[in-house]
Amino acid sequence: MFKWFKKKPPPDPNAPAFWKAYLESVAAAPYHKKTPVEEIGFVVFDTETTGLDVQEDQILSIGAVRVKNWQLSVEDRLECYIHQEYHPDGKTVAVHGILPGEKGHSIAESEGVRRFLAFAGGDVLVAHHAAFDIAMLNAAIGSAGGGKLQNTVLDTGVLARRAARNPQMARPGAFGLDHLCDIYRIPQSDRHTAPGDAYITALLLLKLLYRLQKRGVDTLGALRSAPGMGL
Amino acid sequence: MENIIPRRIYDFLKAYPPFSLLPDDLLLQVSQRVLVQYYQPRQEIFHQGDQPGTHIFIVREGAVQLYRETEAEEFLVEQCDEGDVFGIRPMLAEETYALTARAAEETLLYAINIEGFREVMEAHPQVAFYLASNYAAGVGQKYKTANPSQLFLDRSDRAVEHFALMEVQSLERSKPPVTCPPETTIQEAALIMSAQEVGSIIVVNPSDHPVGIMTDKDLRHKVATGKMGLGAPISDIMSSPVITMPSTVTVADVQMEMVKNRINHICLTEDGTPDSRVAGVLSEHDLMVMQGNNPAILIREIRRCKAVEALRDIRDRAEQLLKKYIFQEVSIAFISTVMTEINDEIIIRCIELAEEALASEGQQRPQAKYCWLALGSEGRGEQLLRTDQDNALVFEDVPEDAYERTKAYYLDFAGRVTRLLNEVGFEYCPADMMASNPSWCLSLSEWKQQFSTWIRKPEPKAVMFCTIFFDFRSIHGDRSLSSALTTHIFEALDDQEIFLVYLGKNALQNPPPLTFFRNFVVESSGAHKDEFDIKARAMMPLADAARLLVLHARVGMINNTFRRFERLAELEPQNRELYEQAADAYEILMRYRALQGLKKQNSGRYFNPSDLTKMERINLRNCFRPIKELQSLLNTRFRLALLS
Repeated sequence: MFKWFKKKPPPDPNAPAFWKAYLESVAAAPYHKKTPVEEIGFVVFDTETTGLDVQEDQILSIGAVRVKNWQLSVEDRLECYIHQEYHPDGKTVAVHGILPGEKGHSIAESEGVRRFLAFAGGDVLVAHHAAFDIAMLNAAIGSAGGGKLQNTVLDTGVLARRAARNPQMARPGAFGLDHLCDIYRIPQSDRHTAPGDAYITALLLLKLLYRLQKRGVDTLGALRSAPGMGL
Repeated sequence: MENIIPRRIYDFLKAYPPFSLLPDDLLLQVSQRVLVQYYQPRQEIFHQGDQPGTHIFIVREGAVQLYRETEAEEFLVEQCDEGDVFGIRPMLAEETYALTARAAEETLLYAINIEGFREVMEAHPQVAFYLASNYAAGVGQKYKTANPSQLFLDRSDRAVEHFALMEVQSLERSKPPVTCPPETTIQEAALIMSAQEVGSIIVVNPSDHPVGIMTDKDLRHKVATGKMGLGAPISDIMSSPVITMPSTVTVADVQMEMVKNRINHICLTEDGTPDSRVAGVLSEHDLMVMQGNNPAILIREIRRCKAVEALRDIRDRAEQLLKKYIFQEVSIAFISTVMTEINDEIIIRCIELAEEALASEGQQRPQAKYCWLALGSEGRGEQLLRTDQDNALVFEDVPEDAYERTKAYYLDFAGRVTRLLNEVGFEYCPADMMASNPSWCLSLSEWKQQFSTWIRKPEPKAVMFCTIFFDFRSIHGDRSLSSALTTHIFEALDDQEIFLVYLGKNALQNPPPLTFFRNFVVESSGAHKDEFDIKARAMMPLADAARLLVLHARVGMINNTFRRFERLAELEPQNRELYEQAADAYEILMRYRALQGLKKQNSGRYFNPSDLTKMERINLRNCFRPIKELQSLLNTRFRLALLS
């Protein structure tokens, strides 16, 4: 916790209220290196975007569930769909099936960002190939007047590599979500919707946590360590 | 697009009872509140004696084992796999957990909070009933006996029986209607009727709605008598309006309508009124043909039968009747009474045919009377499908000089009867337990001697014979011979009570399996098998136990296993509940065996758990517990442990 204080920029008095509230909840989060796995709140999330370009593309939906003490509650989840004015080349539409600008239950991006931050608070963020989703969220938060995400972030792709017996032997694509779902027998009925992928990733996280815990990776610090360092 | 995650839960739950019994919107609400829980292999979910929790559990992935712990050891009571519900004790009783639940492998559970689910149960009693029956099996305490047959029947037994007697069969066999427009001449109509070989013609308007009917009787009374010319339009003589009924009516409905209106034909229309299209026509004769598979008619036909081929045909039709009863979920008590009656009549008819053949060959029947005995399942009156025949013959004691001749005659006679039965479809007994075997065609004193020997020297083989021969039932001939045998057996038992201990040991030879798991039969040892022998593993243990207990109580003349249990329940009120459960279990097992046999066209004895639906597996598994409790009762009562 001390480490986070040191890194944190001084609070900006002009920051929007949602961002201040978020920073407070991050500061209040009880996590430290020795926090046992059972006590960590993991916010497992996924975003669906108009494309893979962090600069150009935008978020269409966010799904998140919270995993704590080996369980997740269906009630404690976030499913939101964002209304984007931006029209991309249409390539990703085929993958996720959400047309940009599709109305219905969709909300503004800034509202989506606020809901996500309120849901996540200071919990540990988990996503598959997290760097991209984090970058997308940071861009959206920035547009809404906030800063960069402060949470500890874990990547199930990295955890899966650590849980594997012979990561060096793995073939390309071995740590993709599809392939991991096959290995860990997770049914993939709603792939390519943000909530569906967030749920699948949460189940994957549970199975990975068990395998890592058996090898002594049982604290937040150990989960964050790079392979070969904390094991 | 909303609610993607609850939808995933919903999609899983809706495939499994009791959730499958809930309306969609309600199930979606339940799914919104589910907890998804992860358990490691061997991790405990709850412990025996714990205070009841706030959730019930459904296995989403993996397996959960339920154990009962005693001071010395723990027993595996149940193994739950995907879709199984467990830990519902907090839902139903304010008691602590009776079992310990542990994940057998990596397991995901859906946990449902009982707050809120209670209201669901109240609004949907079928859910509560399902859980109650499941709970009875899973926890293995006392059973809910209030309405045991509801496990199988959704109506009360009595009502079903009543319907069966009324012959409620849907009239899927009404003939395609022969019709003509009203301006058709009587002669043209008569020509159509002869060409189509029908006794009636429906007069229809251009929309095919019935406006009248002309029958053979109209032709006889109004045309042949000269009252009406052949060239007159049919509308002049047709009966109108037509009595119509919907095509979904039953035989009983049609009969009532015919009697009420004093008519012999009923016109079936699409919606049952004369203002819809004609769907078919039924005559009184059609009804009689349809009712050919009525037990009373079958029995009458058996009695009139002159040739064995026709008997086989009748028995095939009886099988159709059986099929109908099984699918209509008529009570097994009723079905077995009917089928036993039919089987008995066939045996009697074969006996008579054999006697006639012997007489026509000039063979003189000996002075000594005889009695034909059915053994095994037919002796118990439980043979629904044709399995192999088990029978014996007892004849009166005769002077020594007449013995050879008498025995030779009855052996010849029995050989003919068993041959005829074989032709009807009751196959020869592979172990030759038939009256045609010289060892089982004996005089009364020889039989008494035989039973005394078995009782005095209960070697394994003798005990095996007893399990078949003790269920003898007289079918034909002099019944005083069979009752003399019963009396003798009871007297012999009085001197040799230890014999029952041997029978008891035999009755415990085949404990039922623990449960079904996925597509396997799980043994108490934990071993998995893919084939289930319903006869050896569930029915025989019950039949053996019932026989032993009635012999012990000296109750004669009741052979049927579930009736034996019913009688035992009266005799031993302290064990009433168990005996009633055993009787129910036996009926359920008989039904499954018949169902499997009809499905696979065999004896129905062996089948794979994958042939059963989840619900069927649960029903079947629920039968195992009374068997186990009964076996432990036998163990105590006859002190069998000392023998082993």
